[in-house]
Amino acid sequence: MHWPGRTIWDTRIQSVCGVLSADGDQGVEIYFSATFAQVSFDPPRIIVNPNRMYAIEEMIRRGRRFAINVVPLSEKENLIRLIRLRRRQTHKPEQLGLVICKDEHGIPFLQESLRTIFCEVDAEIPSGDRSLYVARVLESRRNPKYVGQQPLLFGEIAPSRFPSLHKTVRKVAIVTGGLDLAKKLVGKLRPSPPANIAKTTYEQAGATEPELSLIRSYGLLDRGRTLVPPAAPAVLTKKVGICVIGTGWGSFHCQVIHQVSPNARLFICGQNEERTARLARAVRAEAYFVGIENAVADPRVQAVTLALPHDLHRKAAEIAASAGKHVLVEKPIATTLADADSMLAKARQTGTILMVAEDMHFRPAIKEAFQRIARGDIGEPLHFLAHAAGVRRPRGWAANVERMGGGILMDIGVHYVRGLRLLMGEPNGVIATRAMQIDTKIAGEDNAQMIFSSEAGWQAHMLLSWSSLRGHIPDIVVAGEKGTLHLWPGASYLDFYPVRPTAILRLASYIRPYWLQAKFMREQFGRIRIGLRDKESGYQGEFREFLAAVAEGRSPVSPPQDGRRDLEIVLNCYEALSKHTSVAISPPASNLANGMPGPISGSDIRRS
Amino acid sequence: MTSPYIADSLVESAVGLVLVEAGNTRNAMTVSFFSEVAHHPTALWVAISRKTYTYSLLEESSRFTLAILNQTQKALALHCGTISGKQEDKCKALKLYKSPGDFLFLHGALASTGCSVRERVNLGDHTLFVADIVESHIDSRKAHLRQLLLSDL
Repeated sequence: MHWPGRTIWDTRIQSVCGVLSADGDQGVEIYFSATFAQVSFDPPRIIVNPNRMYAIEEMIRRGRRFAINVVPLSEKENLIRLIRLRRRQTHKPEQLGLVICKDEHGIPFLQESLRTIFCEVDAEIPSGDRSLYVARVLESRRNPKYVGQQPLLFGEIAPSRFPSLHKTVRKVAIVTGGLDLAKKLVGKLRPSPPANIAKTTYEQAGATEPELSLIRSYGLLDRGRTLVPPAAPAVLTKKVGICVIGTGWGSFHCQVIHQVSPNARLFICGQNEERTARLARAVRAEAYFVGIENAVADPRVQAVTLALPHDLHRKAAEIAASAGKHVLVEKPIATTLADADSMLAKARQTGTILMVAEDMHFRPAIKEAFQRIARGDIGEPLHFLAHAAGVRRPRGWAANVERMGGGILMDIGVHYVRGLRLLMGEPNGVIATRAMQIDTKIAGEDNAQMIFSSEAGWQAHMLLSWSSLRGHIPDIVVAGEKGTLHLWPGASYLDFYPVRPTAILRLASYIRPYWLQAKFMREQFGRIRIGLRDKESGYQGEFREFLAAVAEGRSPVSPPQDGRRDLEIVLNCYEALSKHTSVAISPPASNLANGMPGPISGSDIRRS
Repeated sequence: MTSPYIADSLVESAVGLVLVEAGNTRNAMTVSFFSEVAHHPTALWVAISRKTYTYSLLEESSRFTLAILNQTQKALALHCGTISGKQEDKCKALKLYKSPGDFLFLHGALASTGCSVRERVNLGDHTLFVADIVESHIDSRKAHLRQLLLSDL
């Protein structure tokens, strides 16, 4: 039976699967293509048609040289991962774990290809949303590893959990005419408009010149990302002598240290001897000290954690570093950038580790969301919503704006700024506002709202409040063109809502009458709950990382510059709040360019 | 045994037939130099040797069909790829039918696509025909088969 083709994919002209590879200013770019073919024998030439929405097209246009890597059947899974990868993802080969080689042609190519065709562009034929490149073949090289293996064909790449079963069922349905019957039935339920290949293909995947200009204006690669969460939790192999400075929030530090390193040599330091001794007994500390100078003078202490009022961070960190002790400082790193820079300089000068205790960097849900965004599950990330609220009445030093450095924005906002940077990238501007102040006993703000924007095309909304409750909603939502992620505080899972309806919802859409269908169209049927592999909390992760860095004499995965940058963005938010206008956020300067000390390398760190 | 056709080629590719009708003359020629051009405007390209009969017919009509063959159609591909249309009406041996847009479509092909030539570019021994895709038919009973490949010939 003949059915009208509705899209260009129905023409079956896409055949052998390949990966185009070319050099760019951000490293090697790769791109899936099943639409390359030879065009002449003499001279031997080949044609490729990269999509102008992808960075590879610009790289081929500029560099004029590229390789076509024919994909063997055995590399099907990697190819599917490449197809799903986010279009503007940088460092695609690294993201997929693909090995890139280079030889005398100077053209990057994939190690695992059936055949590699090295090409140099002879001519470009403008062709709408693709560029048709006619290229001279420099060499066509077969990979001896794959002798006898067939190339992967476009029709074979449909992902399936049970490929053999899927293939058999499909074949039976086709040969017996069952598929034709099903198509007819669906056509009766939902009549299709007359076939129009050009229109449908354009609507599904094409772009006009104005559309291309708009799409390209946000950048072909998203270069705004600077942070990466750790790939795996650190492994603790040695005992570390660690002193917790501060007996308030410090008791929480003790608890976490016991959880991640039950054999750690724990010490406590406070101002009030009775209170310090009481905490030391409660947490089974090896000893306690009164006054930081006494703590850092003890040779058993290798490192300190600072759980102090924010305005004391600089002084305490510098005392500890001067005594050769490594420092884990609570966030924010300090209340001013000058203090933060001074702390960084002191750490470099003394060869000690300085790390900011930012649990968001180690939160398992952030890591999972980061990986899902990078591999393209939600497509282009568009919106970030953070909602941190809960009734809290800070008192004592925390109510003093000078000591705190601000209010909720400085105390809680700094966490979500890190989350924003990890999941979306660096913001370029912010506007801020706030509702009425309920807690008039504190000088800092008890609520604030910010809208961040990025030249990469995303926006973020952050709502912080100590005077209202969040209720049962996630604290972070990341919404993209292909799906939305919900991150729940303290939960061992995150939720994924794909734009493409789940199988249950697709089936339910055929139920009639509509009142019955509505009963099946439940929100939870569109949700995929993803269990988190890492069971430790972000707090545990950050302490584990610090202790491991101290034990191994290496830089922590999150250098102190990350904490300085968080503070810089928070201070930009305060500026926006006071000026009632949008404030530009300068891009993160290179460490040397702005006179800041660079990241501490492992070789600079004094081994304890 | 390695196919002589793949040995001459740089890369493995699918095999199809170009069906052309100019006036009362029809011809079918086996091709493997074809692929997609763009999604908007929706187009494909096919490269034809200037020595062929099909080339002269294409110059005259500016319309053609690209029929993608399935893995069982090897004999058909060899027949249409080894005999010139000047010597024999190859279309007589083919099960052809007319599409609503008056293109010659092939029964049993994975898909037949009617195209209208937009641009011609001379490239070495071949001419590149860039053509807008006008209409297409899929044979639903052959959808489980893969394309016929050069290495199958």
